[in-house]
Amino acid sequence: MDALLSGQLLVAALVTGALYALTALGLNLVYGTMRLLNVAHGDLVMIGAYVAFWAFTLLALSPLLGLAAAAALAALFGLALYHGLFRRLLAGGKAAQRLEANSLLLFFGVSVIVQNLMALQFTATPRGYQYLDTVYRWGNAAITGNRVAAFAVAVILCGGVLAFLRFHVTGLAIKALIQRRDAAAVVGVNVERVQQLALCLGFASAAVAGALVSMTEQISPFMGFPFTIAAFVVIILGGLGNVTGGIAAGLLLGVLETYGVALTSSAYRSILVYGVFVLILLLRPQGLLGGRRIVR
Amino acid sequence: MTLLALRAVSKQFGGLRALSDISFDVAAGEIVGIMGANGAGKTTLFSLIAGNERPSGGTIVFDGRALAGLPPHRICRLGIARTFQIVRPFGGLTVEDNVATAAMFGAAQAASPAAAAERALAVLALVGLAERAGDLAETLTLSGQKRLELARAVATGGRLLMLDEVMAGLTPAEVATMLEIVRRLHREYGLTILIIEHVMRALMQLAGRIVVLHHGEKIAEGPPAAIGADPRVHEVYFGAAA
Repeated sequence: MDALLSGQLLVAALVTGALYALTALGLNLVYGTMRLLNVAHGDLVMIGAYVAFWAFTLLALSPLLGLAAAAALAALFGLALYHGLFRRLLAGGKAAQRLEANSLLLFFGVSVIVQNLMALQFTATPRGYQYLDTVYRWGNAAITGNRVAAFAVAVILCGGVLAFLRFHVTGLAIKALIQRRDAAAVVGVNVERVQQLALCLGFASAAVAGALVSMTEQISPFMGFPFTIAAFVVIILGGLGNVTGGIAAGLLLGVLETYGVALTSSAYRSILVYGVFVLILLLRPQGLLGGRRIVR
Repeated sequence: MTLLALRAVSKQFGGLRALSDISFDVAAGEIVGIMGANGAGKTTLFSLIAGNERPSGGTIVFDGRALAGLPPHRICRLGIARTFQIVRPFGGLTVEDNVATAAMFGAAQAASPAAAAERALAVLALVGLAERAGDLAETLTLSGQKRLELARAVATGGRLLMLDEVMAGLTPAEVATMLEIVRRLHREYGLTILIIEHVMRALMQLAGRIVVLHHGEKIAEGPPAAIGADPRVHEVYFGAAA
């Protein structure tokens, strides 16, 4: 019981939650603006982790700088996918359900290809590196520097994206697009450009989350799947397309998972996450925080 | 001066001919009504002009520019604004942000978010939604959402406003208010208006000229009085004269 009340668990929960929030933010933007179900989202986390890993081991570049490279690379990958796969699909004006089904299959293919290319290139061996691993003490909690850094960066980026949506003109266009595609177009919003931006932003935020994860955990080409699942749980918890709700839900899932594992065992991690997923779908399919409502 | 010119415009959906060979002009400052039974092609016509659908044939020229193939946001920025028959508000945004989005990205291209907000509030006052500016759009009644739809179209700063049944589903009192709003928009903003309406009396009062569509073809065009007396229109609406 003492362990449950210690600051240690709370800190761990917050770090996990912030990373989930950042990962899910990207998924939410991509789903919200285009209704694309990106089941390869976790693989972007993996790509970001590898970029940070190689930048650190080969170029001795701090992962906190490497994450910029990861973001840029993922954004470019997003643009390539947009032009290669999704532009025509989106321009076809198909019903949202068709779009969701088609994108699900396409992204599933992308996921398989990306994972196996990475395994082919870098082997499936898990890798890791040491960075900022000094332990800081804070009352009865001990935390490594890299976790503090990961938490800080994730919080700053989530806050930054929220502020962008709230105050920037393009943020207004993204929100309008999330609400009504066709109406956004007839009031002059350049739907295609906003979609590209949302895809780049969504992919980049996942890759940044990956770079942050690589500081604290071992990485492998198949590490992405749990992040895909966590991200989907988070955006359903927060309400699809609801960016603020998603961030709150990310923190909530971090807390649920960390405390749940502490109360039971780490073997139950997946059961906990899926359990939450199923419960939400059964009890509140519109999300804990209501329907399409998003940041004002 | 001719603001909008349609020449032999047609639209084919697979084997279905939704519109065939539609030609008419709209002069700047005019209010032109579009009449026709359900399925006559009225909304399709708006979608072709606004760029939501591409014509299968013919040309649409707005202010000397051919619109063929332009995406909806480009057409909006050239100065054509439309409303949707089934309202499509940005439900999760505030009423003010709904209209500010239009001011920001439409033909008006407001210089700053502050300027967009100012323009939005001015238009909202005109449609009687000023006090609801801070509320979420989805909390408005149908009448409120219809007026929001109208305000959003006006705020784009377009010169041609296309209204798709903005009075459908409203009570007689609300129709009267809406009529007054449309008249004021026409007068104070100097707008050219193309209006689809099933509320016949409203259309007869507003429009200087009416175009009648039937099964995708134009069967009559003229001033309201002449349309009211036209035997072809009577035949379509009331069956053959006895």
